[in-house]
Amino acid sequence: MAVKIYTIPTCPWCMKTKEFLKENKIKFKDINVASDKKAAKEIINKSGQTSVPVIDIDGNLILGFDESKLKKALKLK
Amino acid sequence: MINKMKKNTLKDMNTLRNTPRRGIKGINNFDVIIVGAGGVGLAAAMYSARLGLKTLVLGASHGSELPVGGVITTTNIVENYPGFIRLTGQELAKKIEEHAKSYKLVTIKEEKVTDIKKNKNCFEIKTNKSQYQTLTIIFATGTKWRKLDVPGSKEFENKGVNYCALCDGPLFKNKIVSLVGGSDSAAKDALVLAESAKKVFIIYRGEQIHPESINMERIKKNKKIEVINNTNIKEIKGNKFVQEIILDKPYKGNKKLKVDAVFVAIGHIALSDLAKKIGVKTDKKGEIILNHKTSETNVKGVFAAGDVTDKPFKQLITGVADGCTAAYSAYEYISKSKVITC
Repeated sequence: MAVKIYTIPTCPWCMKTKEFLKENKIKFKDINVASDKKAAKEIINKSGQTSVPVIDIDGNLILGFDESKLKKALKLK
Repeated sequence: MINKMKKNTLKDMNTLRNTPRRGIKGINNFDVIIVGAGGVGLAAAMYSARLGLKTLVLGASHGSELPVGGVITTTNIVENYPGFIRLTGQELAKKIEEHAKSYKLVTIKEEKVTDIKKNKNCFEIKTNKSQYQTLTIIFATGTKWRKLDVPGSKEFENKGVNYCALCDGPLFKNKIVSLVGGSDSAAKDALVLAESAKKVFIIYRGEQIHPESINMERIKKNKKIEVINNTNIKEIKGNKFVQEIILDKPYKGNKKLKVDAVFVAIGHIALSDLAKKIGVKTDKKGEIILNHKTSETNVKGVFAAGDVTDKPFKQLITGVADGCTAAYSAYEYISKSKVITC
């Protein structure tokens, strides 16, 4: 399962999402869109929103920290 | 606070602290439940634990849709909290959370309260995950952002209309952004936005924006920021994302202003609905009417603190003080009350 998370260091929900993934021992790639302008543009166009975090799980996007959606997508109990 | 307490109260407190609690028993039963896990709720928990009360904090800071730590986590730099000359809101929230957690009597659960009822001598609290009983409640539910209500504001929410400058501001690197509001929070948001954007327009309906003087000076000195006073946004237009705003008065001869984003900082709405359910009185703004000496509400055993109350000067520092007072009043209520079981 490939998990990418688009974040901004100062965003509280981004931190929360990363904590959640770490707690559940999910490996993920953290993409800082505050410093990576190209990635920022890409994720805005892909998600259709100007807000983070955006979590990409095998190409499926979850917008914002949504524990139940994350658990379902990651097949966690 | 301690210095002001009567000798017999101090004696009572030491007795209570050093002997097992006679009160409410059971894993889901508490002396005090604090609804709201922002800085104020966590500070109240720290204090109630110091006073020997079995304490539960229910987050994630209610309704404001922020993680434990609350609204201060969306403040970039905090410079008005004693003991810390300058740190981020998230750092401060973490320190307060760790402080509360250092007391064994404190439990913090990220659960959303769905219902509250008075049952004989106690209160029953239902969450999305469980059910609890408590002798006292402290509401530290805070506020949620007031939404901008103009054509386009809903349609473009998170498509250029954003509410958290600290969270989403960096997505607008080298873009032109606008910010609606005139308070100190609005000014701080504008300063955060100016770190990434190439231009920030502050649009304020009143005569003059009114941040704290230190932030006013920063705004004046920042060449990227321009303030447009006495003006409202009438409409937000765009395609997939925000492209322009329509003002109610011309700016440099034109009512249309090209912007890539509209950040909104026009105040907050008190999250007092849960308190109202058990008869807590609020004012016209929905803020809990507080006895500012004791942090008591009109309902016995129910206290409140922080931004949800009618305290005029809303800062973490003032909310924390009220949270500690609420914890002490809860302690006094339990100590003096003959009621020790539900």
